[in-house]
Amino acid sequence: MSEQSLRAAPLLPPTAAFAAGSVAASWWPAPSAALLGAGAAVLLAAVLAARRMPRVALALVLGGWAVLGAMRAAPPPLPDDHIARRSPTTSVTVEAKLAQEPTRWAPDRTRLLLDILAVHVGPERLPASGRVQVTVYGELTTPLGEGQRVIVDARLHRPVGYRNPGGFDYPAHLQRDGILLVGNARADRLVAITPDAPPWPVAVKRWAVGVISARLPEASAALLAGLLMGERAQLPTESDESFRRAGVYHVLAVSGFNVALLAGAVFAVLAMGGVPRRGAAVVAAAALVGFALVVGGQPSVLRATVMGLLLLAALLLDRKSQLMNALAAAALGLLLWRPGDLWEPGFQLSFAATAGIVHVTPWLSARLTDRGWPAWLATAVAVSVGAQAAVTPLMLAHFNQLSLIGVAANLAVVPLAGLGTMLGMLALLLELFSTGLAGLLFEALWLVLLALRAAVWTAAAVPAAMVHLPAPAAITLLAWYAAVVLAPAGWASRRARAALGALAVVVAVTSIWPWLRPTDGLLRVTFLDVGQGDAALVELPDGPRLLVDGGPGGARRFDVGERVLAPFLWNRPVGCLDAVALSHWDIDHSGGLAAVLRHFRVGEFWESGRAPSGAADTVAALVRSGAPRRVLAAGQRLWLGRARVTVLGPAPGPSVAANDDSLVLRLDWRGISLLLPGDLGAQGEAALLRRAGPLRALVLKVAHHGSRSSSGTPFLHAAQPLVAVVSVGARNPFRHPSPETLARLEAAGTRIYRTDRDGAVMLETDGHVLRVTAWARGTTDTYELAEPENTTAPG
Amino acid sequence: MPYTLSQLRLLLLLALTLLVGLGVREWRAGFPDAAERFERFDREERMSPMLPDADPPPAAAGPGGGAGLAAPTATGQSSRPASPAIAHTSPRTSASPTPRPPGALVPFAPVGQAKPAPSPPAEPLDVNRADVAELARLPGVGAGLAQRIVEERERRGRFDSPEALRYVLGMGPKKLAAIRRYITVRE
Repeated sequence: MSEQSLRAAPLLPPTAAFAAGSVAASWWPAPSAALLGAGAAVLLAAVLAARRMPRVALALVLGGWAVLGAMRAAPPPLPDDHIARRSPTTSVTVEAKLAQEPTRWAPDRTRLLLDILAVHVGPERLPASGRVQVTVYGELTTPLGEGQRVIVDARLHRPVGYRNPGGFDYPAHLQRDGILLVGNARADRLVAITPDAPPWPVAVKRWAVGVISARLPEASAALLAGLLMGERAQLPTESDESFRRAGVYHVLAVSGFNVALLAGAVFAVLAMGGVPRRGAAVVAAAALVGFALVVGGQPSVLRATVMGLLLLAALLLDRKSQLMNALAAAALGLLLWRPGDLWEPGFQLSFAATAGIVHVTPWLSARLTDRGWPAWLATAVAVSVGAQAAVTPLMLAHFNQLSLIGVAANLAVVPLAGLGTMLGMLALLLELFSTGLAGLLFEALWLVLLALRAAVWTAAAVPAAMVHLPAPAAITLLAWYAAVVLAPAGWASRRARAALGALAVVVAVTSIWPWLRPTDGLLRVTFLDVGQGDAALVELPDGPRLLVDGGPGGARRFDVGERVLAPFLWNRPVGCLDAVALSHWDIDHSGGLAAVLRHFRVGEFWESGRAPSGAADTVAALVRSGAPRRVLAAGQRLWLGRARVTVLGPAPGPSVAANDDSLVLRLDWRGISLLLPGDLGAQGEAALLRRAGPLRALVLKVAHHGSRSSSGTPFLHAAQPLVAVVSVGARNPFRHPSPETLARLEAAGTRIYRTDRDGAVMLETDGHVLRVTAWARGTTDTYELAEPENTTAPG
Repeated sequence: MPYTLSQLRLLLLLALTLLVGLGVREWRAGFPDAAERFERFDREERMSPMLPDADPPPAAAGPGGGAGLAAPTATGQSSRPASPAIAHTSPRTSASPTPRPPGALVPFAPVGQAKPAPSPPAEPLDVNRADVAELARLPGVGAGLAQRIVEERERRGRFDSPEALRYVLGMGPKKLAAIRRYITVRE
């Protein structure tokens, strides 16, 4: 940063120091007292140094800001009556207020954010506090709204995410919103004790959504609600996906775009109507605040509103406005208020995009105009490039998404979205005065929305519009942002250009490295934490990869395939799966495979040939992917690279029961043997023992999530596994794994790992030593393997 | 003139927009089907594709029967070659040759033309379609419980998952676990 640009944005360094302190605190948490002392010492030193050594004093002051950031990042102590302090019980009756409008996932599934007011124990009402997120199952008899008070019997527990390498830390995300407990409740155990009387911003929002959906056809209405108010709940899945693919998803979030349009429109119309500048600025500021209250407090809204207000204030005071300084002020204010937001993708994307535009656009558009581009095109391209340059690494880090069409798509989509937003606001305003005229405006608006959807759809239909890549390494991120910061100022000097070139090389090499990394000769087997379900990735040292089952997924539930499995594979990085094996069609094994079949090239799909039951999404994805299906049956053998896959079940013939027909696979590599029996039950085990296939194995995936009816003593006696992995979800309704099964495994001298406690269980071996890592615990156990067990190799 | 030029432009633009809206309204009223087609241009029709009947492989296969990875199939198309990483060895057992060896790749029939699979006797029962009599045949489920399951289903519309049966009075975790393997929930 040059001296000049610092002078233009004096708030930038303290903001950066504050954020850095906040980040540092997450690595080295220090007690508040120590931080307080450190901060006081630093500031005292700064005062002492101020006269003689202004530079040192400046550094010390920034250090003080960093300490402040670290202090603010420490979570405040829980109040004594906080609900999370209560000893966990199965069910608790709470009186609470809805902190926001309920979210309906399905007709019979509603999510409520509740501010606890009291806990009812028998006839007693004990005051309590805290915020919880409760999912209500069943049809709600009365509609609920923000601010309403309810009494509900809820089962509360600490949130559990899917604990896999590189996975999203769900509990931390909830904790940043002050949610320490989540839970569920039945709709018939919920009583509203006050009427639904929402505060005025909510009422305005409901009215607007109601008008829009009454005036426009379904999908167009959903799009307009997204454009105007960031209300995306009703948006059809395929539209949502198109906006992501085209790299224009930001128009569906309320951002500086809407705020600038609103403030600009109000200001321009008033100024044109003869209102003096200052008066117009005050009205525009009021409109901004009202708008922010209506659409809610996402970081992007707050950022845009704060910046908008600062710019309007500059207008009022006849000051020259500094965008970068306004941005830094907004960031500092937001971080002081809600320090956790720093980790939220929405916060990062919003601030990065704005900073990118402010930093890159003036320079780039000047260069483009020099080359003879028309001014409007140069500005549009420069804005698009600046924003994309800043958000690309973040999109990769959070979502593994790289939109290649984004820069171009934004050129068409942003003006259309702007026109739609303007007309939409105008139409809503007109609705207050004349429904007839507003109706006509909505008709014209429909055309704009169709054009917008067509533009997005076209961009998304371009092949490779969006590619999925592994999250960038820290060094890649640093080099990328250093280059972006350096580019405008440094382009003129030769030395800076050389540095830019070097940074570009660093980015390129570190990005490609994961794909080029030579093999280390280890066999890796990862049992992913997919909740209640199964998914295991087998990676052979010579390259081939086999995925066995895909966890739960599909429409109208949390799609583990899309949200857990695919990100894990993208980060690995895996581009192609040589084989995907499905043990049986139950949704907790097949559901997540739909996303896998959509996103990855699949060499072959292995199955036992039984008719699919349910899992319509996976069947559709399988048909569409065109992956060749291979029906396997007991007695077959295949080679997967240098590993031998033996099919132990099911026996060909009529089906017994879904679970007992599970595909049973055995994998042998250098004396390491892995047994994957799906959800095999007692009958299936008996059949397996009758067929006398090679059962003895080093590693056993415990059948059916550790159910009581699986893993019988005779089977375990035959398998004699050293290590057993139970793939099971915490608090599953089936009470898997059963204590009896665990006892049987222990009696067989087996070391047990469980995905509900250990997170992802990762095995790696070179044939002599087996290392087992429990991801959530961060522990690794090492097993020396004696002689390769060649007795078990099938003949 | 009372209006400035820019004010005039704004008013003109507004009037034009409203005129366009009027035109669109007339057109939509005249051709509702076309308007509906425009509105749905980017929506996917929800279809329920069916896998072709991949009949379970027979008990035994011919010598080397499984080796034909790219064997021509009944429809005349040759199935795609398998991933180069995968090699297929023939099964140990050998007996009379059969038309479709285990391990052969199964071709896809065009969606919608697949014949419905004959339901094997032990096919899991769809609790969203089953009637009281069928439900009552499940182990541990009597006529009363079966009746309550159907009532709960009617009240809720459908069961989202087999676990949703827990909403039924009398369906405890043990009972559900006992019948879990015999039931399913179709989309």
